[in-house]
Amino acid sequence: MGLIENLKSYSEGVQISAEKKELFTSFMSKGFPTTKDEEWKYTSLKKIVTKEYTIENTGEIIDSSTVEKYSLGFENRIIFSDGKLIGSPNIKGVSINGFSNFGSNTTDSILQLNKALAQNGFTISVEKNTVLESPIEILFFSTTENNFSQYRNLISVGDNTEVKFVERIQTLNDSTSMVNHFTQIHCAKNTKVEYNKIQNNTPESRLIDTVNVYQEQDSTCDINTLIFGGSFTRNNLNFEQNGSNCESNMNGISILDNNQLADNHTFVDHKSAHCRSNEMYKGIYLGHSKGVFNGKIMVRPDAQKIDAFQSNNNLLLSDNSTIDSKPQLEIYADDVKCSHGCTIGQLDEKALFYMRSRGIGIEEAKAVLTYAFASEAIENISVEEVKLLAQKLLAQKLNVDLDFSL
Amino acid sequence: MLQIKDLKAGIEDNQILKGINLEVKAGEIHAIMGPNGSGKSTLSAVIAGNEDYEVEGGNITFNGKDLLELDPEERAHNGVFLSFQYPVEIPGISVSNFIKTSITEKRKAQGLEPIPTKDLLKMMREKMELLSIKQGYLSRNMNEGFSGGEKKRNEIFQMAMLEPKLAILDETDSGLDIDALRIVANGVNKLRSADNATVIITHYQRLLDYIAPDFVHVLYNGRIVKSGGAELAHELEEKGYDWVTKEEDKKWA
Repeated sequence: MGLIENLKSYSEGVQISAEKKELFTSFMSKGFPTTKDEEWKYTSLKKIVTKEYTIENTGEIIDSSTVEKYSLGFENRIIFSDGKLIGSPNIKGVSINGFSNFGSNTTDSILQLNKALAQNGFTISVEKNTVLESPIEILFFSTTENNFSQYRNLISVGDNTEVKFVERIQTLNDSTSMVNHFTQIHCAKNTKVEYNKIQNNTPESRLIDTVNVYQEQDSTCDINTLIFGGSFTRNNLNFEQNGSNCESNMNGISILDNNQLADNHTFVDHKSAHCRSNEMYKGIYLGHSKGVFNGKIMVRPDAQKIDAFQSNNNLLLSDNSTIDSKPQLEIYADDVKCSHGCTIGQLDEKALFYMRSRGIGIEEAKAVLTYAFASEAIENISVEEVKLLAQKLLAQKLNVDLDFSL
Repeated sequence: MLQIKDLKAGIEDNQILKGINLEVKAGEIHAIMGPNGSGKSTLSAVIAGNEDYEVEGGNITFNGKDLLELDPEERAHNGVFLSFQYPVEIPGISVSNFIKTSITEKRKAQGLEPIPTKDLLKMMREKMELLSIKQGYLSRNMNEGFSGGEKKRNEIFQMAMLEPKLAILDETDSGLDIDALRIVANGVNKLRSADNATVIITHYQRLLDYIAPDFVHVLYNGRIVKSGGAELAHELEEKGYDWVTKEEDKKWA
């Protein structure tokens, strides 16, 4: 047995539409990707898919104290408990609904599976000319043991609108749960969208997370990904720029220990001229952890005057940690500015001694330097609560009692 | 306060300090002078606890404690401060955050609560005034993009904030223009008290025009070869190091 068998027997017991059945069959014929697949070369799903999972969500409804424990305390919260929408705020100009069957063309087997089986997720439409000061917080809780769940979300942001999101997926038991999470974001003209992903789930949890962003002209979309928890995290972040003067920004901070693995795959498709993209991924690796970064930038033939920047900096703090980093630039226009850089290093011994000579203990000095390393990306996050959480979790993970704020 | 007895130390197989003896009492200012390569910076590094250097013999006692047994941070907690010849750039950490962390960690080691941020900022402003440091400096990243003079001033600023018992100023005058030199010297003089001591390590006499030392020692080839009062520094300036080193070379020839 294994996940494929679990999925097969689940599908035999449920009624799904012909279209979904077709997608499911397509998934079954391909299966999960393996390391023979170029996009999964450094990240193996083998161990994960040989485990047993329950496919159905049958958990309990959670209480408000649990919500408070994991919430960053925002006024506007959308709360899911085992896929059921249990909390939804009333915000002027915003319509929030539960799951909807939106379409998306994909040949990716994991997304086909998501579309075939998903029954959970949200649909958010933000009206045009709306500016929301306070972020919308989205909390997904799961209580079902060993659950493999599919979340499927759609966000549409109208013209001239500004909105921020903070998302968190939280398993409330210690089982080996897995989430196949898909979010599609449409940014209309002149919008400003920031989406913060806090990936700090339980030690045995697994996550495959895909975000597809479609941008129209003059829009800016920032996606910030903070990876602290979970045993396995794969993020696929895809931007499609369909109008001029678009800006796509990605900030990533991963701090991993034990046997954690985090894989950030990004893809920016520059389809229009006069657009920008900025990627800054910072990885910190302790213990036996493993990091993967793959940053693909495509500049289409007519997309002139593109300014694309990508950086992936890694700090290996143990002898047993590894990082595979790969930039992938495909440029078919001739008047563009594309740059990328990757660094892999250790902490600066001179700086460590300097700090110790000022009374900062060795572990604290390491933590301060590690924080300093990550701070450039943390500073790009505009939501103060998320920034503070990143600082707190960083100190926690490095086992020091330090406050980085003044 | 500080007793150094027959200290021998080096880096890898190369012995640099070949038996240093020095006593510094509270309230005193000592200057250690000497030509390049005589071991001045090695001495300061060994006192501060730089693990790149290996101590092969002798001992250092600081207020009754065996200093060589302590980690660099413990030495700092006990009141030792080294102003670096080449302060390290730390991008991503502001001056204020760095100093806050270092004061908080020192207080933690002493079993004290952190200083409230408001009081800490007030203290920082006072010390900034003392050293003619401009506003906006606190939020700059630690030494990043600082000029040579700004880095040295930042060292003295940290010294002013940490209030050490023993401050070692390693070539603090190098890279300073005359105005900055005066400001730094003025700061050191104002921070001077009957309870603390300062060791100034320098190649030139010019800093000593502004900070009057009680004792001057000449370090050459890993040994203190001559000691005297402030007048020794002037004599050295006049006659050059040759005056001392030639005599010394003859002795060991």
